[in-house]
Amino acid sequence: MSARGRLAPLLPGIVVAVGVTTYVIVLLGVESQTGIAALLAAGAGAVLAAARFGVAARMGRAFGKRDNFLNLLVVLAIVVLTVYFYEDHFVLLMVATVIIYVIACLGLNLQFGYSGVLNFAGAAFFGVGCYTAAVLTKNTDVPHLVILVAGGLMAATVGSVLLLPVLRTRGHYSAVVTIAFGLLFKIFLEVNDTLGGPQGLRVDGMNVLGWEFNDNIEIGENFEASFYVNYVVVGLILLVLAFALVRRIERSWIGLNLDAVRLDETAASCFGINIMRWKITAFILGNFLIGLAGALYAMMLGFIAPTNFTFGDSLILVSIVLLGGIGNPWGLAVATTILIIVPEKLQAIQEYRFLLFAVMVILILLFRPEGLLPRPLRAYFPGWRPK
Amino acid sequence: MPKFRFTHFAAVAAAAMVTGLALGMSPAGAKEKVTVGFIGPLSGGTSSNGIGGRNSADLAVRLRNADPNAKYEYELLVQDDECKPNIGVQAATKFGANKDMIAAATHYCSAVAISTVDVYHKFGLPIIVWGAVLPDITYGNNYKEVHRVNGTMINQNETAAKFMTGLGYQTWAIIHDTTDYGKGHNKYFSENLVKNGGKILGTFGVTSDQQDFFAELTKIKSLNPDVLYFGGLTPIGVRIRAQMERLGLKAQFQGTSGIVSDTFIEGAGPLAEGVLAFREGAPTEMLPGGKLFLEQYREQGYSDPPEAYGAFAFTAMNLILDTIEAVGPDRKKVRNALNNVTGSNAADSITGKVDFDDHGQNTIAVITKYVSQDGKWTVWENSEYASGMRKLKGM
Amino acid sequence: MDGLGEQRIRLGYAQAERHVRPGTDPGRPGTGPAARWSTASSVEFRTRKAHSMDVGLFVQYVMNGLMLGVMYALVAVGFTLFFGVMNIINFSHGDVVMVGAFVGLATYLGVSSIGVENPWGQLAAAMIVAASAMALMGAAVAKYLVLPLKNAPPLNTLLITLMLGTALHEAVRLFYPRGANPQRFPSLLPTDAYSFGNFTLRIDSVILLGTGLLAIVGIHLLINRTKLGLAMRAVAQDEDTAKTMGIDFDRIVLITFAIGSALAAFTGILHGLYYSEVNFAMGLLLGVIGFSSAIVGGLGNIYGAIIGGFLFAALQTLGVVAMPFASAYKDVFAFGVIILIMAWRPTGLISEKISERV
Repeated sequence: MSARGRLAPLLPGIVVAVGVTTYVIVLLGVESQTGIAALLAAGAGAVLAAARFGVAARMGRAFGKRDNFLNLLVVLAIVVLTVYFYEDHFVLLMVATVIIYVIACLGLNLQFGYSGVLNFAGAAFFGVGCYTAAVLTKNTDVPHLVILVAGGLMAATVGSVLLLPVLRTRGHYSAVVTIAFGLLFKIFLEVNDTLGGPQGLRVDGMNVLGWEFNDNIEIGENFEASFYVNYVVVGLILLVLAFALVRRIERSWIGLNLDAVRLDETAASCFGINIMRWKITAFILGNFLIGLAGALYAMMLGFIAPTNFTFGDSLILVSIVLLGGIGNPWGLAVATTILIIVPEKLQAIQEYRFLLFAVMVILILLFRPEGLLPRPLRAYFPGWRPK
Repeated sequence: MPKFRFTHFAAVAAAAMVTGLALGMSPAGAKEKVTVGFIGPLSGGTSSNGIGGRNSADLAVRLRNADPNAKYEYELLVQDDECKPNIGVQAATKFGANKDMIAAATHYCSAVAISTVDVYHKFGLPIIVWGAVLPDITYGNNYKEVHRVNGTMINQNETAAKFMTGLGYQTWAIIHDTTDYGKGHNKYFSENLVKNGGKILGTFGVTSDQQDFFAELTKIKSLNPDVLYFGGLTPIGVRIRAQMERLGLKAQFQGTSGIVSDTFIEGAGPLAEGVLAFREGAPTEMLPGGKLFLEQYREQGYSDPPEAYGAFAFTAMNLILDTIEAVGPDRKKVRNALNNVTGSNAADSITGKVDFDDHGQNTIAVITKYVSQDGKWTVWENSEYASGMRKLKGM
Repeated sequence: MDGLGEQRIRLGYAQAERHVRPGTDPGRPGTGPAARWSTASSVEFRTRKAHSMDVGLFVQYVMNGLMLGVMYALVAVGFTLFFGVMNIINFSHGDVVMVGAFVGLATYLGVSSIGVENPWGQLAAAMIVAASAMALMGAAVAKYLVLPLKNAPPLNTLLITLMLGTALHEAVRLFYPRGANPQRFPSLLPTDAYSFGNFTLRIDSVILLGTGLLAIVGIHLLINRTKLGLAMRAVAQDEDTAKTMGIDFDRIVLITFAIGSALAAFTGILHGLYYSEVNFAMGLLLGVIGFSSAIVGGLGNIYGAIIGGFLFAALQTLGVVAMPFASAYKDVFAFGVIILIMAWRPTGLISEKISERV
């Protein structure tokens, strides 16, 4: 195939990637409120127009066909974004936060979207990762990359405490177990002084092989990049790994088992699928990812307190998974970006953030319960759709 | 289905971006714009103090912008820290990360202020605390960026202990919140009380959003203390006062600067009568520039009063503005200049002389004793309780 | 104070004095001498308490527990009503309690500003307006949010009610004047108090307790002795048969939601009168505890809900009696027990009998 022939199917994808990246760069760069509002309106308009003219469907197919290449494009886009805003602390902080939230929501998605295990304590497991990082950086000399993994492991371990009640219950009862745990976690942290109590804990910044993450990157006299670049890079690496992991699982026989468990437990167990085992796998793995994200977040922020991990924050994580389309990792990324960046940029709606989220989710549940980018049917050949 | 036309897409995208950029550009102005900041609790139970502080800082900026001799045009960015440490850290990070922000007046809640000092140091943003009283904020670190114009809780509690034991009270029960603010008050008051011969029958730590205090209060009732000392902020102060009444606990209620607010009196209603509290700094009317400040505040027409610490917020913001006028809008220069406000370089302000010691702490000599009388916080010496016409509990 | 107690207190001071040195570097937050101080003086209270818990104190604890129990039971009954009739958990119930309390407060403010001075009149007005407003809101929620999702996966209804609850408390926080602050709730009941040693009995506490119990009895009678109650029970048991018998399903659902929400408003006002305060966040914890109580007692069973409510309050009070220096742990304790009970009996203590079509 000639070069042009190979490139042609990728063209829509590349165009979209470039367009979206430019849009996001402009959105992040503009300061004035009216400018941002106008941009958002234009963006929404463009998306609606695309849906109307069937462009969206074509792009979806293009994405489906050339998964890996387009994933690469997205990574490239984030790199371009980082380079463009290299000295703007705030924008990079937002980008890093979005990346971390996407990792956490991927974990939640594994539990919720793939195997149907309700987890309303997402923020609590995130908090476990954060506190692990805080305690380990302060009291031990464990290398910080290992601390990230330790955060994930701690979250998985704490989650296993909940395994028995979560597995034995279904539906509403299962929900109440995780809600109770989420509340218990926050109250326990507030009441107990050993982990800092309501005053919270300070967390040292990451330090990998002597490279201190909390210092601005200075190359020569004139070049000073924001120290958040470090965190964006690490976050990106973790995101790629987590995303790859989740996609692989989804595509594999493990994903098939998880889907079966979610869709119909009774039928699945009739077929000999061990429900317990798959639910446990999903729950533990999901919590691991959430804890991992938490550990990185703590080190980036430098300070954590119990009020970071309230029930409302768990609900935000669940809203993201729901809005994006349950089970679709891409939808997650889009939803996270919207839910984190828009309130930050539109100062006027900052206060009304929670209210708007709640109303948005209610509307989505009433009118489009599948979410923004519903999970497409499993396709044997990537990108193949039945006519 | 119409064919996907690249040109359509490009047109829409270009239009969007051009509009955005056009609207984003600000019109050219005469004076250079300088951004300063204010952080305080604008929502939640302590919001009256935060809003009062914000209005006062805003007043300072407005007066300065109305001054034709000012070199720059100032813009005040305001953030709400909700009196929660993590929200405060977020707000501080936003300000620190904002390359246009030169300096800020920050925080009423001590629990938040102690958590954010690291952030300000990380970003090199000079700040002046206007309302938080925990000593550690300035004395617990060596950060050059951190300053404070109001006093600390040490003197407050010294005076309180001496005064209360002087009145004849002998036994205390202490309730304090578990943030560093409450713990700090507990520590300093207990120390001073024991020195002055008072006896502490029990100490109870409560969370800052606790609803039900019947458990602690039932226990305290059985201990039968003369005074119930409360080290914490208005929201739970109100609850404790109301629940004391329900249990028939007849001890005298003594609070700290945390409850000297109109919200406490509104919240406790008639139960606020006869409550004692202590605060560093003279009441606003009696400050050197107090009357002028109140006049100008009234003229601007803010719908909320400046509350107890408004004057300090005004002082902090004014000092920041003066410094920027003197050395220009540069964080490092402003920081160094602020550290120079000491000794012979002490600045004048409506709250008196501002003289930072080597930790950036201003000294406030006066401690005011308040008693709540007829729905207002009245200075003790002027009250009917001091003159004997009304009696405190247990007298 | 007995001599032993006195000695212990002095010992407590001695320990504390060792820790507190003037001019010490305050150190890291949360680990300073003050933290050690409070543990030092509170530990000896545990031992002292073991020696003498007099009757008055005990009765006071029981009274506190009873009041809590009544409130939890009322909320739990609300949850049970909703579950019984539609097999859904209405997570917004706790926040409806809160909104009811706020509506009552607003009514009181409105009514007293137009000149009604009599506290009983004010209370009656607040109750009536709050109950009707919440009933209407409950019916609206049923009609527009719950009934349309009848055939959707139960997850959706769960989420929608959760989000509704969030929307409610955020709306109050943002739109009620100074909504983020705790609001003073007036004492509309007579506040005379009688003291028996360590125990103080206030008339209004008795009235609140009595009214709460009456409300529970009232609901019980409504469900079990009236035709409407029969219809509600029929719908809860078997929707299709009930429809065949001529019961209008949709209308009964609306009525049930209305009754449940009116009950919530009543509970909210009770809560406000008891604590003399309402704040926008009071619904969350109350709702979760009410829900947990309903589950502990077995969803769908009114008696179970009532038992669950009192059981939960008993657990919390026990937690407080056992650890008087850290009564905040009572919530941790209670939630922990809930998780354990769920692990042991996944469908509640009085299990619901469900059949599932596979």
